[in-house]
Amino acid sequence: MKSPFSVIFWKEVKENLRDKRTITSALVMGPLMGPVLFAVLFSFMIQQQKSQSEAPLELPVIGAENAKSFIKYARQRGARIIPGPSDPEQAIRAKEHKLVLRIDDDYARQFRSGQPARIQLYYDASDKDSATPVKRTRVLIERYGHQIGAARLQLRGVSPMLNQPAFIENHDLSTPQSRAAIILALLPYVLMIGIFTGGMYLAIDTTAGEKERQSLEPLLLNPVRRSTILAGKLAATVAFSLMAVAITILTFKIAFHFIPFEELGMALKLDGRVMGLIFLLLMPVALLAGAVQTIIAAFSRNFREAQTYLSILLLLPMLPSIAVMVMPVKETPWMIATPILGQNLLINQLVKGEDITTVNLLLATGGTALVGFGLAWIAVKLYNRESMLFSS
Amino acid sequence: MIQAQQLSKTFGHVQAVNSVSLQAPDGRITALLGANGAGKTTSLRMIYGLIRPESGQVRIDGVDPHHDREQSLHTLGVLPDARGLYKNLTARENIEYFGRLHGMAESDVQRRCDLLIEQLGMQSFAHRRTEGFSQGQRVKVALARTLVHDPQNIILDEPTNGLDVMATRSVRDFLRQEKARGKCILFSSHVMQEVSAICDHIVVIHNGRICATGSESELLAQTGQKNLEDAFVHLISHNGDNNARGNNP
Repeated sequence: MKSPFSVIFWKEVKENLRDKRTITSALVMGPLMGPVLFAVLFSFMIQQQKSQSEAPLELPVIGAENAKSFIKYARQRGARIIPGPSDPEQAIRAKEHKLVLRIDDDYARQFRSGQPARIQLYYDASDKDSATPVKRTRVLIERYGHQIGAARLQLRGVSPMLNQPAFIENHDLSTPQSRAAIILALLPYVLMIGIFTGGMYLAIDTTAGEKERQSLEPLLLNPVRRSTILAGKLAATVAFSLMAVAITILTFKIAFHFIPFEELGMALKLDGRVMGLIFLLLMPVALLAGAVQTIIAAFSRNFREAQTYLSILLLLPMLPSIAVMVMPVKETPWMIATPILGQNLLINQLVKGEDITTVNLLLATGGTALVGFGLAWIAVKLYNRESMLFSS
Repeated sequence: MIQAQQLSKTFGHVQAVNSVSLQAPDGRITALLGANGAGKTTSLRMIYGLIRPESGQVRIDGVDPHHDREQSLHTLGVLPDARGLYKNLTARENIEYFGRLHGMAESDVQRRCDLLIEQLGMQSFAHRRTEGFSQGQRVKVALARTLVHDPQNIILDEPTNGLDVMATRSVRDFLRQEKARGKCILFSSHVMQEVSAICDHIVVIHNGRICATGSESELLAQTGQKNLEDAFVHLISHNGDNNARGNNP
């Protein structure tokens, strides 16, 4: 003879595995859509950065014949010089070119007489696609100017070093992994979505669903404690959440193969150990999500109303992701212990290839589990109320 | 045996049930007869321990369902007004689920399922998922799962509501068999014909109060009427509508 808890648990699992709607939304759409969208977005971004920095710089120049030595220098540096449009302002506004160089007749005269010679650069700073070519063009012109200036000083017997009282030596401490941080901040959110959508239908079915299809009263007339009934149902909800998050993690693993991270100089880590730790971190979140969803669904009058509330709830795990993105502060123990926020921070560290401390792992899982069990207890209390039976 | 004494319940300002007492002995079918909103469902819900009466007490084979809820439910089978099934489970799985929740051994669950499926004539649809079942098929499944643990006491809230003639007959035949096995059966109804057809003892409820009890012939004699319907109308019109009350919750 099986315990009532396991009878309820297995009945819920079996029944919901037979439900096409639950399977599609909980185990297919939720876990697959997120990682796929993530991969597409990431690849798109990489592709864009790559094409801008590696493609030959295209330079539309008006009056190229006025600055033959500069044009030669630019060609040697790989720039592709094309004839400029007659009206540069119009061409930029019409997005025909990202930038236009204009070199007037007096350039040659100014250059020969040793005065600063004017090169006009037309661009639209509000067009973000222009940022990289404009920067590359600036660097090109500055280097050319530097080279000519140095040559002129040397001709006069002056060391070019005198013209450079200070210089900058860059020490960029970002690692390849840390550069992907902003986009990676989305990854924990996608995992959370998996958890929340995974258990959503079961949480509704447990409460508002049973009321709506008029099966709650007969169920409660079995010699089983209500707390046991809810515990069995909550366990099934959590099981579906965990299935969903496991599928999401595996999908990420596959999706990562298709994202050319190395082209950005990044190496993201998602090996067996990291995947296991992520799953461990998310386990108490599944309990918390199941309990919160059950509580909300218990207050709903019917399935549809519960579904509306729980869809809004999907935005909740997004808040810590946004918080991490906009205020990259050093984490404190209370942040780690805060449900969802803690998981967010630690999963980010794991994926970036950093190690997490055992203390932080315990803080995050323990803090969330504590809140999760507290909410589960409230859900049981609500289930015990007489008014729970009467939906309208 | 089911005994209820002086049960009362109010919802807000409405006195739904007022001092209801009744007794349903073993080997008899007892009917709680009343119009819609007379307090039948609320009275039954207090008797089977789902809602707590404000005053009064209930005994199911001597056990107080409000005190020893689980113990009382072992000897009690209830077909409530709400009789929703799990649509992704087959008829048989719906019945098995309740058997297992009653803590029955798996072999007993299977034996009772076979028997009830045969007795209620469910062979043709027992293996099908219950989605799209007719009203009659659904009531039979609900009745079978109510009785899967073979309880001594059976409470049925308007069991034949919405059933066609054939389904009604098979449910009645089944209840007669259970009565012959010495079961205590208490059911509510607002259909005179049905009460007249199978009940041994009738309790008439009106405005949340019991206004008469007795066998059909006793009620006819008491009111001087020729049939149960006239007797019922006589009884409720001579029991003042003066105390305010509303519908079921």
